[in-house]
Amino acid sequence: MLLFEKRENVSTKLKVAIPLISVFLGLVAGGIAILFTRTNPLIVYQALVKGAFSSVYTFSETLVVAIPLILISAGLIVAFKMNFWNIGAYGQYIMGAIFGSFFALNMPATMSRPLLLAIMCLAGILGGALWGLIPAALKAFWEVNEVISTLLLNYIALYILKYLMYGPWRNPASHGFPLSKPFELNAQLPRLLMRTRVHLGLVFGIIAVIIIYILITKTKFGYEIRVIGENKRAARYGGINITKNIFIAMAISGGLAGLAGLAQLSGVIHMLQIEINPGYGYTAIIVAWLASLNPIIAMFVSVVFGGLETGGYQIQMAIRVPFGIVGTIESAVLFFLLGGEILKRYRIRFRRNTS
Amino acid sequence: MKLTATTILITLLATTVRSGTILLFPTIGEIFTERTGILNLGIEGMMVIGAFFGFVVAYITKNPYLGFIIGTLAGGAAALIHAFISITLRGNQVVSGLALTIFGLGITSFYGQRWINNKLPESIPTVVVPGLSKIPFIGSIFFRQDYIVYFSYILVLALWFILYKTKPGIHLRASGQNARAADAMGVNVNATRYFWTFFGGLMAGAGGAYLTIAYATFWLEGITAGRGWIAVALVIFAMWNPINALIGAYLFGGISALQFQLQASGTTMPSSLLSMQPYLLTFIIIIIATLIVRARHLGAPKELGTPYSREEK
Amino acid sequence: MDEIIVQTKGITKYFPGVLANDHIDFELKKGEIHTLLGENGAGKSTLMNILDGIYHPDKGEIYINGNKVHIQSPFDAMANSIGMIHQHFMLVDTLTVLENVALGLKSQGFYIRKPEIAKQIKQISQKYHFNINPYSKIWQLSVGEQQRVEIIKTLFRGAEILILDEPTAVLTPQESDDLFKIVKKLVKEGKSIIFISHKLDEVMEISDRITVLRKGKVVGTVNKNDVTKSHLAKMMVGREVLFSLKRKPLKRKGEVLKVKELEAYNDKGVKALKKISFTVAASEIFGIAGISGNGQKILAQVITGLRRATSGKIIVNEIDITNASPKAITSSGVNYIPPDRLKVGLIPNLNTVENAILRCYDREPISKRNFIDYKEAAEYTKSLIRKFNIMVPKIDAPVKLLSGGNMQKLLSAREIAEEPKLLIAVHPTRGLDVGATEYIRKQLLKERDNGLAVLLISEDLDEILMVSDRIGVIYEGQIMKVLNIKDAERNKIGLLMAGVDSARN
Repeated sequence: MLLFEKRENVSTKLKVAIPLISVFLGLVAGGIAILFTRTNPLIVYQALVKGAFSSVYTFSETLVVAIPLILISAGLIVAFKMNFWNIGAYGQYIMGAIFGSFFALNMPATMSRPLLLAIMCLAGILGGALWGLIPAALKAFWEVNEVISTLLLNYIALYILKYLMYGPWRNPASHGFPLSKPFELNAQLPRLLMRTRVHLGLVFGIIAVIIIYILITKTKFGYEIRVIGENKRAARYGGINITKNIFIAMAISGGLAGLAGLAQLSGVIHMLQIEINPGYGYTAIIVAWLASLNPIIAMFVSVVFGGLETGGYQIQMAIRVPFGIVGTIESAVLFFLLGGEILKRYRIRFRRNTS
Repeated sequence: MKLTATTILITLLATTVRSGTILLFPTIGEIFTERTGILNLGIEGMMVIGAFFGFVVAYITKNPYLGFIIGTLAGGAAALIHAFISITLRGNQVVSGLALTIFGLGITSFYGQRWINNKLPESIPTVVVPGLSKIPFIGSIFFRQDYIVYFSYILVLALWFILYKTKPGIHLRASGQNARAADAMGVNVNATRYFWTFFGGLMAGAGGAYLTIAYATFWLEGITAGRGWIAVALVIFAMWNPINALIGAYLFGGISALQFQLQASGTTMPSSLLSMQPYLLTFIIIIIATLIVRARHLGAPKELGTPYSREEK
Repeated sequence: MDEIIVQTKGITKYFPGVLANDHIDFELKKGEIHTLLGENGAGKSTLMNILDGIYHPDKGEIYINGNKVHIQSPFDAMANSIGMIHQHFMLVDTLTVLENVALGLKSQGFYIRKPEIAKQIKQISQKYHFNINPYSKIWQLSVGEQQRVEIIKTLFRGAEILILDEPTAVLTPQESDDLFKIVKKLVKEGKSIIFISHKLDEVMEISDRITVLRKGKVVGTVNKNDVTKSHLAKMMVGREVLFSLKRKPLKRKGEVLKVKELEAYNDKGVKALKKISFTVAASEIFGIAGISGNGQKILAQVITGLRRATSGKIIVNEIDITNASPKAITSSGVNYIPPDRLKVGLIPNLNTVENAILRCYDREPISKRNFIDYKEAAEYTKSLIRKFNIMVPKIDAPVKLLSGGNMQKLLSAREIAEEPKLLIAVHPTRGLDVGATEYIRKQLLKERDNGLAVLLISEDLDEILMVSDRIGVIYEGQIMKVLNIKDAERNKIGLLMAGVDSARN
């Protein structure tokens, strides 16, 4: 019979070894899946990395995908540190995009670009923050399970978007397709590098990561949310105002997700539409978890995910391996990492059944 | 003229039933999974796995029913991964479920490439129920369907019965509401959770299989188009009750069928607004429920997402 | 009627650091109500959990109806007709009474024949005047009714021997009376009852025989009619003379804490504090003696702002702090060493520094504007470690890796270092070794000499006697009597702790 015995403490060696072995096993599993299509997995992996990082252009594409992940995961880390399961980054992202788009679509094209962009960014943060504050209030005052409330709000946000896109904000010139008018130049985040799509959002991301890192490790707020997340009763005993912190944390979490939505729209897509990759919201949860809730590590993990996606498209074109391989490898690695987690907390013992 | 309008309505509603059936299976499956305390956000992944395997088998064997069964089983197998991680290894259920979705979408897209241009020779045959199908209006909607739809009717009733009138039903409800008490009374909480998580996978697979075999008759990567996520919301909308799931699934099935029609004719605004209402309604219901009685008996199972182990207090 | 239905011989059970049951011989006669009496930690619950199959004895034997049995689980116990009603009910609140009774029932197949079960439940309910509707949901029932459902569960499964573990702890006086009527009826129907309690008045009312346990050993078994409460109290608390810590004589200064007619409810909605009143002065240790479950923990929680007071006042140095926030109360000079260091006092996964600054993280010099200066924090922590002699191998390792004694030292150090006017210490030495225990007690005395007012709440009567200047005995949410240490006589306190009214004079 398999028994799990609680470990007293974990040596750093194990803390590093277990994830590494898990990643390796995941890659092997992915490799086996590839073998079934009679392709050499090593070639696929090589092409994947090449497609993601080899040239300036591909690396820039990797960064473009990574930017929203960096922003959203930084915000999620704040919520998760407090044990507030914000599954609603998807909806907060959308609301940020909507709020920001309002200004993009309604302000004159002659308005000063920096001013308009500043307003749009603030609107994006505001939209996401408001959407995050709703489940915060529900939890703080009425103890509503936040997994459920944030999940439901995702759908509501999506449908608000659909309503706007099929309705009042639809571009009359789009032949019935749910698209808004394209953003004028002054509503577009500037590119950072010529001939790439990397936009100012990257700077936002890096700044956000630094701020969140400092927030969590060096401020009173960071200390308080860590105490709340680890031991709510001790937090109350220590006089920490839990309600206030839930609100601040979700305002930050939602705000960053909203900013990500705004940045994606303003920096890459240049218009509001139904397909604005809100899947980022869920992927960012995985990123935050993989990074063990460390914002700096999350930044690098975001780039890895960006690389997987970009590389995936590349290998689809170059060596005709379907994009689905990315998901297969990703999930295989995740499963092994998830499974490996338990070894950090427990030791496996085999015990013969005692009569 | 009246005749034509009625006929159109009947056709629409009959399509609603089929469209709703796609959602009904995964919703009801996840209701039972969550009732035991396990949160499985991997429904979309399990559905698309069922869709893929169901399609392939139906295509190769030319037997839609066999395809349906295999698709169902494939969904169940996928769920076992999540079950193992969540129950035995006590891993993070949110991340595990999300990984399962990515897995399903990824692997079916990967292996599904070569199946994209194939089409099933025919959709699943319609079977008219003698007698019942003659009831005006209702008969044409509910009793001129295929065997799988009929199976779904019986399934919902059977599951409702199991949940509220049988021992397994009590055990599973206890496992999700107070695992410690259930354990003390001799219920094998982990085995119960394994079984119903597997069941949830079977159901998600069934929904996906029905989609490709009976509704669409072709395969495309990501053909489930987010229906799995709708099922996640429907579980909450149904307040974890199988009969409400039926109503919810048909409602959404109807809305998406309606949306299709309206989109084709160019007037889509009202439908988007229409779609939002069920969610808002749910939201308000949950808040009221929580407000009134702190959600103890109307809301989510108390143990949702929390692994159980005897030693830990 | 004199047949012995349950017998234990030499039951011995070790837990890490404590001998919970020491060669216990116990017997239950058919049709009797036999009470197990004793203080906290006497071993009553352990013995009963062994009979119920939750614990396995290290030594000893159990005989049911003369046959030796091995009880490995609650199911074996049930197979031997033993049913236990625990203090914490094993009920699923969203299910009905019927469904809870049916839970895990092996005799039922797939389909639950509800009318059949309902009929049986109604029969049991009528027989014993339970007044329970099988179709009610558990969350709709009162605590007393829920308890009766637990009894129904055991009777339904054919229990002939019922063990009731401190059943009146969660009941109102009216409900307790109802329970006693039920117990007497059960006995009339041929059941045998083991009753666990520490309330002497109740014990004298309901028991046929009484076995007193003390520190894991049987002190004696008596017939109710042969003893008085005073006898029982003496048996419960013993008469060892323990050494007393040297201390300076009491010089009570001004009044620091005044608790006036305080009332509060516990988590189950039962009133736990009933107009309780007392005062504590500076330079004094006021010890609250009492058996666990009489409101002590609730009292500490209310004074420190962690639980609402429904009426009454708490005044610290002339300031009314009733229902103020924990933070405001701490600012008024009140510090708290809670009974559960791992669940409340410390944050196990955070390191020593982060735990040490829980009280002062938002003050200079540790906090500057909104930032925390972790270097200052580390310095502060190191000074605490030096001053209080705490063994911390790595200051940035999670605090759960420290030994129990060092964790408690850290907790106490943190609270005492705040230089409060009033310190509330609940079970400060529980689970600690001799060295750590002595250290903490000495620390309390030292601070008391320096002017601190200490409210000491402890289950350990010896500790209270060793350290307190005055002792208040708490029983059912009220102070029975306040005694000066020189008037504090062990037996008298024992009687008061067990609720004997006449001992007040």
